Amino acid sequence: MSKSIYELVDELPERNMTVYALRSLDFALPGEWDNVIGFENTIGKVTGETNEALIQQIGERAIQLFNDKSQGYQRALWLYQTIDKTGGALGTAALANKVGEKVPFLGFLNQITPKAEKAQTIDLSLKLVTEVVAFCQINGIPGDSIGDFVRALGDYSGESLMRMAALVSFDGIVPLGPNFIRQAGSVLNRLGPKELEENSAFQRLRDLIPGKSTAQQLGFIEASFNSTKDWMGSFVAQKGITPEKITRSFQKFVDIADDKLDYFGAFLDISTNYYEHTGVQTLARRLVERAIAEI
Amino acid sequence: MRQKAMLRQSSRFLMPLLTPLCLAVVLFLSSCSAPETGSRWEETPTQPATTVSSDEILPGSQFNQFFPPDGNGYERVYSQEKSGFAEAKLKQNGTDLAMLAVSDTAANPPAVTKYESSNRTIAGYPAVVLGDTASSILVGDRIQVKVLSRDSSFTATDREAWIQKFDLAGLERLVK
Repeated sequence: MSKSIYELVDELPERNMTVYALRSLDFALPGEWDNVIGFENTIGKVTGETNEALIQQIGERAIQLFNDKSQGYQRALWLYQTIDKTGGALGTAALANKVGEKVPFLGFLNQITPKAEKAQTIDLSLKLVTEVVAFCQINGIPGDSIGDFVRALGDYSGESLMRMAALVSFDGIVPLGPNFIRQAGSVLNRLGPKELEENSAFQRLRDLIPGKSTAQQLGFIEASFNSTKDWMGSFVAQKGITPEKITRSFQKFVDIADDKLDYFGAFLDISTNYYEHTGVQTLARRLVERAIAEI
Repeated sequence: MRQKAMLRQSSRFLMPLLTPLCLAVVLFLSSCSAPETGSRWEETPTQPATTVSSDEILPGSQFNQFFPPDGNGYERVYSQEKSGFAEAKLKQNGTDLAMLAVSDTAANPPAVTKYESSNRTIAGYPAVVLGDTASSILVGDRIQVKVLSRDSSFTATDREAWIQKFDLAGLERLVK
């Protein structure tokens, strides 16, 4: 373990490209996501408590629970961090001094290559699997319990729901188009274990994906996708999420020309880490909820 | 000669004044360059020793059956189930009203201390109010049942009422 949970929450950025990208989805989920940062602040927001001594007690218990490897919280963090590392390194370094001004998109074009449909489908599916497995680790449900996860999706809110909205928008609709579910479904159907093994994101995550062989793991990935596709489809329809709305909303933050939209997905991929950002917020929330109940 | 004498005299006069001044400057500068005081969480104590071995800590799955059932417009949504801990949300019309939680204090013994000074009971068990949002009891000297408000409409009286909706006798049988 490199960092404690309080450091991770304290270091969450107030403003960066990830935060802008998530805020741009406000049109679909108005007021749903508050970028809660800072460990003490999180404790106050989650519990509604203001007494300093009590906040100290809650924080200490949350830290103890996170530090205990057997509890699964660290594994969930690793998943959220690892899936986001598959994009690229443009993110923080190149964009750090751009925060606060409109980012000239064109300047980054030479560093961006849109992904092929197959690679993008694997990315989308692996992010979904990451959510299933991390959810099970955080909430204490066996790691292959897709059914429990699908039932819980209906109760997702705050940063968790925002993560799912970003998943369908930035890793589904933007790179694959409005029919992303059907398209990704057919790519997954044709995908063989060997092709999966060649994918770098899969190589990083494979140890935590349920299944004894690549074929079984592919089966789990397909099952995760098939069990959540109805939820994704009705979410997109209910919230009225379209490629045009996503890009128009994001153009408030980034100067992206209409004829360069093909690069938009790839740009988001390398400049944001929304799984890690909201994942840390989810972890902190669950730890604090448990800590105040246990002390 | 005369100049030297004057210098000596003035330095003798100035020294008592300069010394504290220099000291103050040094102290001021060193306080500026002193390392920042660390986070209040740096000194967090390690996990407290459990009162039983780790495999004797009751699994959260054993607690679920003793939670208040949903119905009468209330919805109970389980949210966490870990070693020694189970928690569910209490919802009404889509709003989170409260969290319902059961924990095995054998995994976190300091939690029991607060009941030692408790002078009131709920359903015959020692009861405590913590902060503005939490009410709890200790069942069978080991299992903590806690209800936490998540909406301002859900008062301390509501919390007490919901604590009594758990199957407390069932929970006590787990440890007696």
